[in-house]
Amino acid sequence: MLHSLAKHAPESGNSTWNSIREDSLKKLNSIAFPHSRLEDWRFLDLRPITRTDFFPADEAGVLPATNAENYFIPESDRSRLVFVNGVYSKKLSSIGGLGKGVTVGNLSDYADNPSVEEYLNKLVNYEDDIFTEFNGVMLNDGAFIHLEEGAKAEAPIQILNLYTDSAKPYIATPRILVVAEENSDLTIVEDHVGLSANTYMTVPVSEVKVKQGAHIHHVRLQRDSENAFHVARPIAYVEKNSEYHSYTITLGGKISRNEPRVVQEAEEVNFTLDGLVLIDGEQVADTHSVLDHRFSHGNSHQLHKVVVNGKAHSIFNGKIFVRRDAQKIDSFQENRNLLLSDDGLVNTKPQLEIFADDVLCSHGATIGQLDPEEVFYLQSRGMTEEKAKEVLTYAFALETIENVKVESVHKLLIEEVYRYTKANNIETVNA
Amino acid sequence: MVLELKDLHCEVEGEGIEILKGVNLTVEKGDIHAIMGPNGSGKSTLAKVIAGHPEYEVTKGDILFNGESILELDPDERAHAGVFLAFQYPVEVPGVTNNTLLRESYNTIAASRGREELDPLEFEDYVRGKLDLVEMNPDFLNRSVNTGFSGGEKKKNEIFQMAVLEPALALLDETDSGLDIDALRVVSDGINKLHGDDDAVVLITHYQRLLNYIVPDKVHVMLGGKIVKSGGKELALELEEKGYDWLQNHAMVNGEAK
Repeated sequence: MLHSLAKHAPESGNSTWNSIREDSLKKLNSIAFPHSRLEDWRFLDLRPITRTDFFPADEAGVLPATNAENYFIPESDRSRLVFVNGVYSKKLSSIGGLGKGVTVGNLSDYADNPSVEEYLNKLVNYEDDIFTEFNGVMLNDGAFIHLEEGAKAEAPIQILNLYTDSAKPYIATPRILVVAEENSDLTIVEDHVGLSANTYMTVPVSEVKVKQGAHIHHVRLQRDSENAFHVARPIAYVEKNSEYHSYTITLGGKISRNEPRVVQEAEEVNFTLDGLVLIDGEQVADTHSVLDHRFSHGNSHQLHKVVVNGKAHSIFNGKIFVRRDAQKIDSFQENRNLLLSDDGLVNTKPQLEIFADDVLCSHGATIGQLDPEEVFYLQSRGMTEEKAKEVLTYAFALETIENVKVESVHKLLIEEVYRYTKANNIETVNA
Repeated sequence: MVLELKDLHCEVEGEGIEILKGVNLTVEKGDIHAIMGPNGSGKSTLAKVIAGHPEYEVTKGDILFNGESILELDPDERAHAGVFLAFQYPVEVPGVTNNTLLRESYNTIAASRGREELDPLEFEDYVRGKLDLVEMNPDFLNRSVNTGFSGGEKKKNEIFQMAVLEPALALLDETDSGLDIDALRVVSDGINKLHGDDDAVVLITHYQRLLNYIVPDKVHVMLGGKIVKSGGKELALELEEKGYDWLQNHAMVNGEAK
């Protein structure tokens, strides 16, 4: 499927871009589509994807984006990049409000930029991964953000990916490259929105380089169509004294597979890879993450919270590597799952591989239901059972979103949590 | 009569184990009743059953509140009617502030009683006045419900909630347990100030100690899921002196509790 679509590779950029595409194509042709007999794909049934006929964008009958402005965040009034089915929309984007030292734009307009030359497709590192290679073959538009040394983005940058309705299923391959030079500071809101209920697949790849002393706050919001497939490869490299804090909120999609990775490149770093998953119906959300500690004195934090209702299915595999020379690592990982229905399913696997001897790594995984004693407590204070369950579910989810510092997004997430708890007729849970 | 229990039997839902085995009790407006008894005698269960805990099923008898059966009411509907349970183990609710919970509670209860709801500012004024009753720091309003509170703070918070909600019937389940002597005095003073001619209080306690601070009109002793003896406040002192064994034997002789 991906193999045949790869014939429709674009031609933008320069000779480097052509060789990226050719190289990716070569690799793509040597990789078979994954299946659940592979250890890394256990528990995830990909057949709904393999059984779908996808078409190139120009044959899929895609409709234009409607009501895009509903998804604009006010803070990014003049720092917004919009992509429609992976294609840059100059009309919907608005850039220029970011002050000195900040470059923001469509990647394919910056093919000759030194940072693009240096890092594009060099950071992404997923072994034998057909999705990364497919994105490489289709390399074209994307978000490019560069911060000069000491530059501070005055407003959060919104990278809005809109997916429109279509007559036939299509595949989008969004791309992000962020290079934050020394001591720069940036907030990114990456948003994926399905505008209709159609079937499509999106395969976003993002490469983030956080240089010495730089800070990045990265919010990733996935609200794809209920019939969409979302396979994401976001990777970040963190240098000395830098901070990278990422918060991924998964709400949409029929099947989503998110593989965030953070790679430590020097000592004294601090990074977060939190996640909140709210799923229902027959949704499947799979997170396979890697926190790779390669040097001493690293602090990492991963709180992955999941609420499952209906027949939804959550998979979590959290790898934490601590290499031999990476002493004095303080790493925290916790996966907490709240099961609201009898038919929901949760697979969770913390996977710690520690080769250093002076480290502090705590991890935990829990799967539970709403505590009837807590429900009764709130009911005895006058709340209906339904309201009590809403409040408790909200409280459960809140912890992961309270660190999202973009106000409108924080508000939006609270609304999304409420919408989720309200929309779901949460079943009575017995002790 | 605020509360009337008629031959109340209950068991744990689905398990068939009877816990209350025919409790009869009448509580008048303006009264304070104390229910005492050893562990496992059913006194905490009694409080939870009156408040409507779904874990228990009433198999026989009735609970009348202001003359009407409340058996078919959900816990929230009982709260709206004016029943309040101060929990033995108050639940932590991270992410929901005390203030939010109380305003939500106050307003739903107010609405169901036809009183005016308060907006956040009005509510703040209203609540400030109640804080002093239990000598609570206003900071507690903005903290998540019971989260990270000490045992004593949790109990104070229960009485604070009672102060805000002004129930017609307050069931206080071992409110004295886990309190040091200063906190016990504060909590007791608060309860005494809150109690008036229009409401009733049922204290559930192990120990006579609490009754030095809150003087009951009636004392009942529970054993084996029944009230085996009732009397005035002097009964508590007698119990303190003779222990529950005295009544255990008494009950066995009379064949009341098994």
